[in-house]
Amino acid sequence: MQVTVELFGIPRARAGVSCTVAHGATLGDVFLDLSRRFPALGDACIQGRSLKAGYTANLRGEQFVTDPAIQLKEGDSILLLSMDAGG
Amino acid sequence: MHSIPGYHGRYLRVDLSTGLSTEILLEAQLLREYLGGSGLGVALMLKEGAATVDPLAPEAVLAFVFSPLVGSPLTTSAKFAVVSKSPLTERLNDSLASSGFALAGKKTGYDAIVLVGRAEKLSILLIDEHRVRLESAEELVGFSNRKTQENLLSRFGPEFQTATIGPAGERLVPYATISHDGRHAGRGGSGAVLGSKNIKAIAVRGTRRVHWANPPGLMSLAKKLSQKSFGPATAKYRELGTASNLLMFNRLNVLPTRNFQQGSFANAVAISPEELNVTRDRTRSSCAACTIGCEHLYSLKSGDGSVRLEYENLFALGPLCGIDNPEIVLEATRRCDDAGLDTISTGGTIGFAMECAERGLLDASWLRFGDGNALLRALDSIVSGEDIGPLLAMGSRRMATEIGQDSISFAPQVKGLELPGYDPRGLQMMALGFAVSTRGADHNRSGAYEVDFSEAVDRRNVGPESAHLAVETEDKAALMDSLILCKFLRGIFADLFEESAEILSLVTGWEVTATELRATAQRIVTAKKRFNILAGWTPSEDTLPPRMLQKALPEDSRSQLSAERLASLIKAYNLARGWSEEGWLPETKPSNYRL
Repeated sequence: MQVTVELFGIPRARAGVSCTVAHGATLGDVFLDLSRRFPALGDACIQGRSLKAGYTANLRGEQFVTDPAIQLKEGDSILLLSMDAGG
Repeated sequence: MHSIPGYHGRYLRVDLSTGLSTEILLEAQLLREYLGGSGLGVALMLKEGAATVDPLAPEAVLAFVFSPLVGSPLTTSAKFAVVSKSPLTERLNDSLASSGFALAGKKTGYDAIVLVGRAEKLSILLIDEHRVRLESAEELVGFSNRKTQENLLSRFGPEFQTATIGPAGERLVPYATISHDGRHAGRGGSGAVLGSKNIKAIAVRGTRRVHWANPPGLMSLAKKLSQKSFGPATAKYRELGTASNLLMFNRLNVLPTRNFQQGSFANAVAISPEELNVTRDRTRSSCAACTIGCEHLYSLKSGDGSVRLEYENLFALGPLCGIDNPEIVLEATRRCDDAGLDTISTGGTIGFAMECAERGLLDASWLRFGDGNALLRALDSIVSGEDIGPLLAMGSRRMATEIGQDSISFAPQVKGLELPGYDPRGLQMMALGFAVSTRGADHNRSGAYEVDFSEAVDRRNVGPESAHLAVETEDKAALMDSLILCKFLRGIFADLFEESAEILSLVTGWEVTATELRATAQRIVTAKKRFNILAGWTPSEDTLPPRMLQKALPEDSRSQLSAERLASLIKAYNLARGWSEEGWLPETKPSNYRL
């Protein structure tokens, strides 16, 4: 499964890109794929198949998700961002 | 005088009309029930009978309130609250600011400094421990905050810390700020209240320290807290600053644009910190006693120094007014800082005026969305009182009343306070928070957006069963604003109430529990509501501007909130608070409030 990942805030700063393509059937697979391809992003934001505390994901601009077991569809878009807003 | 660790156990009441000052004892039980900061501030407002007084009358009360944690080794604890009745909302206003003024202010030997009366002429109030005096400030008339603080530094020396107003406060603009060291007690117009008392600045100095109940335990906990504050939960603030919200909000279509007519801004990238980091020099700074260091200052191309950029001033002076020129946004921010204007209310009011002008409701054909020079001209007019300045200086609610023609339906305010940068149609827990907040539309007293950005709710279809989550975020904010700790720490606490209880116990020696602090937070929120009821609150003001309840955001048909659903959320919130469905407090003995 190929999905688009848009990165914001710290995830973007660590990955060095604002958008990338990732592979995986589940959210956890995608996090793992991102960790392998962007080690600095993995170190800062991802632990195995899950996001570290302080980070969250949004599926298709609709729903906030963190469960690594969530099934993805071909062409899905995932936003990766810092959890806290405010300011 | 009793001696509770962390407190002096008294406040200083200065009558500016007579020049007389009085020390007033604070009962231990009152301190335990209201802590400090916003909590103690509202208790003092109720005790002083401030709710029924014109906020700009001599009888009005303005309090600078410290907290038991000020001066402790705990990170982010150098904070103070400024509390009064707001001239913008005519409801309770509590604004927080940080740094050296809090430390020096508490060393004067008081837990709060309460001002009443009005000085004969523009003055500086000097509080040098127990010595209180007024000095003329007539040579500072019209001075910016920056120039005033520079002047006072050379006049009194670095041991004095100062809080000042700019020309906006002198002109009684109801959204004028009080400034200290480039930071502001920003919302609700406390600067106008100080201006109405003819006080240009307060300078404080002292040597009186409080003691801590358990210094070794406090040091150890402070060290752990500092270490945690270097972790991932605060990385965003440290490395990018709050302005990094911009692109994410834009992507989710919740970035208020052109007076809330849209939820996304086509050229947001041009003003984003990601872009500014490439094109401008950036420096970082932090408040005294803070290990996060969230402040990011960007250089002006004009060479006129650098400007602190936060998400709120970026959104309000950028997309909200249709501005995509970063130099204009930074310059407008600098002018607001110098004049002492709340950037959110300034941008909100000018954006509203831009829409009025474009609709032909306001005779100002030069005032158009996207025109940077028009933004700066409008802003300058607020400070000078020329052109359309007097109208803009009213804030959007009073301006809409003046203009009529149903412009109130798109005035971006709740209770008169302009909305911050969260579109409530796409963030509906925040919509509830805006509607019920005692301060008006506000993201600092209700952090309900945190729930929107989580799996707990569908942010575009929030139901009454989730209203308790808004209560929880409001209670957490009340606790943090009263202890006082910076909200940017909130992500590092596994259980804020539990860990705060430990902190407070180490500072004061009280055997405080999480349960007690939950009750304390609720008591503080209820006291704020009580103040508002005394000031004339009615249920009809707990709502959102009609625009937000009529149509979906144009970019996202699911971002729609009907008046009926908002009403059901408010009802559920009120019941969750233990109030009536409409939000009235149950009959309560005044002794329960100890006021």
